Amino acid sequence: MAPNMLSQRQLALILIAPGLFLVAALFLYPLGFSLISAFTRPDGSLTLEWFAKAFELYSGDILFTIIIVVTSCVLTGLAAIAIAGTLTLGENRWVVGTLRALYRWPLFIPFIVAAQCMRTFLAKNGLMNNTFVSLGLMEPLSATSFLDWRGIIATFVWKQTPFVALLLAGALASIDRATLEAGRNLGASRPRVLFELALPQVMPTLLVALVLSFVTMLSVLSVPMMVAGSQPTMLTVDMAFRINAYGDYSTANALGVITYLISAGAAILYLKRGLAKEGAP
Amino acid sequence: MRAERQQSLRSGEAISVRGLHVGYGNTRVLHGIDLDFSPGSFTALLGSSGCGKTTMLRSLSGFVPVQSGSIMVGGRDVAGLPPEKRGMAMVFQSYALWPHMTVLQNIGYGLKLRGVPKAEIAAKVAAMLEFLGLSGYEGRKVTALSGGQRQRVALGRALAIDPGILLLDEPLSNLDAKIRMTMRHEIRAIQQRLGVTAVHVTHDREEAMTMADRLVIMEAGRIAQVGTPEEVYDRPASAFVANFMGAENILPLRVEHSAGGASLFAGDAAAELPPALRDALPAGRAMAYFRDDVARLDAADAPSAGDLVMAGHVAARAYPGGVYRYRVKTDDCEVTVDDATRHELGAKVGLRIPVQRLHIFPASEAGLAA
Repeated sequence: MAPNMLSQRQLALILIAPGLFLVAALFLYPLGFSLISAFTRPDGSLTLEWFAKAFELYSGDILFTIIIVVTSCVLTGLAAIAIAGTLTLGENRWVVGTLRALYRWPLFIPFIVAAQCMRTFLAKNGLMNNTFVSLGLMEPLSATSFLDWRGIIATFVWKQTPFVALLLAGALASIDRATLEAGRNLGASRPRVLFELALPQVMPTLLVALVLSFVTMLSVLSVPMMVAGSQPTMLTVDMAFRINAYGDYSTANALGVITYLISAGAAILYLKRGLAKEGAP
Repeated sequence: MRAERQQSLRSGEAISVRGLHVGYGNTRVLHGIDLDFSPGSFTALLGSSGCGKTTMLRSLSGFVPVQSGSIMVGGRDVAGLPPEKRGMAMVFQSYALWPHMTVLQNIGYGLKLRGVPKAEIAAKVAAMLEFLGLSGYEGRKVTALSGGQRQRVALGRALAIDPGILLLDEPLSNLDAKIRMTMRHEIRAIQQRLGVTAVHVTHDREEAMTMADRLVIMEAGRIAQVGTPEEVYDRPASAFVANFMGAENILPLRVEHSAGGASLFAGDAAAELPPALRDALPAGRAMAYFRDDVARLDAADAPSAGDLVMAGHVAARAYPGGVYRYRVKTDDCEVTVDDATRHELGAKVGLRIPVQRLHIFPASEAGLAA
C-alpha cells in the first residue's frame, strides 16, 4: 500500500510541477527579489534607508492613496448594493430588465479605456459640464474640471461597481427567497428587507468582493496617471516615476512593500471578521 | 403571562374573496375564485400539484399580483396592497428563518418593525416561546435547531404580531413523519386557542382532514368542492373529488330505469339503486368510484343480498398489516380490495360491493378523472 501511495504522491507532484514552476519563476522569484532590493543597499548590506526616502518624499501620496481607495471601496459597495438590491427586490420589470442588461458593461472595459472615457466626460469642457451648461443648470464660467482625486474615485467606482454587484447579485439570488418574503409578510419595507434580512446573509461575499476591489484599485497605474496626473497622486504613479525617471528600483520597491502592507491590512480585516464569525457560538 | 397574551390578541378576521383571477404572463392559474373564510376558521386548500392552491395562498398574502377580483379583509379590499400592508402572517415550507439572527431576533422582528420597545419584545418573545414549548431558547442560533423546533420558531414569528389571519404554506412537508403528526395537532391546538383565521395549503389529504374544519378541493384553478372533511370524504361532488379523496377503484356501470325503480348492472352482476340516487342518475353508462376498504371478498357464488356481487379472481396479494390487500380481476375491471381473510392467488372470489357506498357519476362527467 505504502509504495503505491508514495508513487501516487510523486505523480501528483509531477502533475503540478509545471504550474508550480511558473508561479515560482514568474511570481515568487521577482517578489523575493523586490523584497530583498527594498531592504538592501547595492553592496548587499541591510538598510531601511529606502523606506525613509519613500516616507520623506511620498508620505502625502501614501495617505492620498489610502483615502482614494477606501473612499472608492465605500462608494463601490453602496452602488453595488443599490444595483444588486434592485435586481433582487425590484418589482418594476422594465427597470430590473434594463439594469440587468446594462450593469455589467464596464466589466469588459479595460481600466485604461475607462480612464480615457472619464477624461472626456469629466474635463472642464467635457461631456458632463457641457450637458449641464446646455441644460441651463450651470454657467459656462463656473465649470470646473473634475480631473483630480474626484476623477480617480469616479473611474474606480464606475469600473469596480459591476464586479461587486455581479458577485453580490449572485449571492442574493442564491439565498432562500422565502426569507425575504417572510420579512415583507411581517411588514418590512423593501429597503429594510434588503439591509436587515438580505445583506447580512451575503456579507461574506460582499466583503470578499470589496477586498478584491481594494487590491485591484491599489494596483492600477493607468487611471491616476491619465485622470489626475498632478500631485498628489497614487503610489503606482510614484513607483513608475522612480523607475522611469531615476532608475531608482530600491525606493520603488520600498513603495511596493508599503502598497503590499496596505492591501495585507485589508485582507487581515477581512480574515479577522471571518474568524470572529466562525468562533461565535 | 398567558392570560395577558390572550387578552391582547385580536380575534381572527374574515376574508372574502370574489372573482379572483390570477396568472403568470399569459398563463391563467386561477379562474375566478369565490371563497369566504369565517373568523377563527381553519381552512385547508387541497389539490394535486399545479392546481393553483399555492398561487391562491400567495395572492392572499400579496406575493402574486391579482389580475382581477377582490380580497376583502376587515371591510377593505387588500388585493392591490403590497405584502407588508396586508397584516397576514405566513409560515413557509422552508421555515424561512433568518440564519443571521437568534431565536429572539427572529420572533421579535415583526414587533421591532412595529416599534415595540426592546423590553416588551423580550417579554413577548419569552411568553411566545413558553407557549410553543421552547422556553429559554431566546439566545440560540436558529441554525442550531432541529426541523421541528425551527418550524415552531417560524410559527412563533408569525404569531408574535398577533395576526388576524395565519397563512400556512405546506408548513409540515419538510418534517419527518413522526414530528409531522405531533406538529399537526400542535398547530391545530394553537389555532384553536388563539382563534386566528387559518388558511393551510397542502397536498396531503390526511393532513388536511385532521387539521382543518373545512376543506377546499381545487382542480385546475377552480374550486371543485368546499365542505367539512366528512362531506368531502363521504359525499364527493364530482368524480375528480371522489378520486382525489382516495376512491381510486373505478367500476364501469350501466343504469337502467324501470317503473318500480332503477337498477345497476356491472357485467353479469346487478343491484337495486337506492331511492336517493334514483333521481340523480340518468339511465345509461356511469362510473362508480370506491375505496379499497369498502368492498369485501366473498364466496364466488354468494347471494347478492342487495349488494353488487361480481365474479372475479385474485391477481395479487400483499400484507400491509392488519388486513390483506388484494388485486382482484373481474371481466370488466381490476380493483384493489382490503379483506381480513386470506385467499390464495388465482382463487375464484365474489367481489361484494355495498351499493350505498359507491360514488356514482354519469360517464359523461366522470370521464375527466378516469
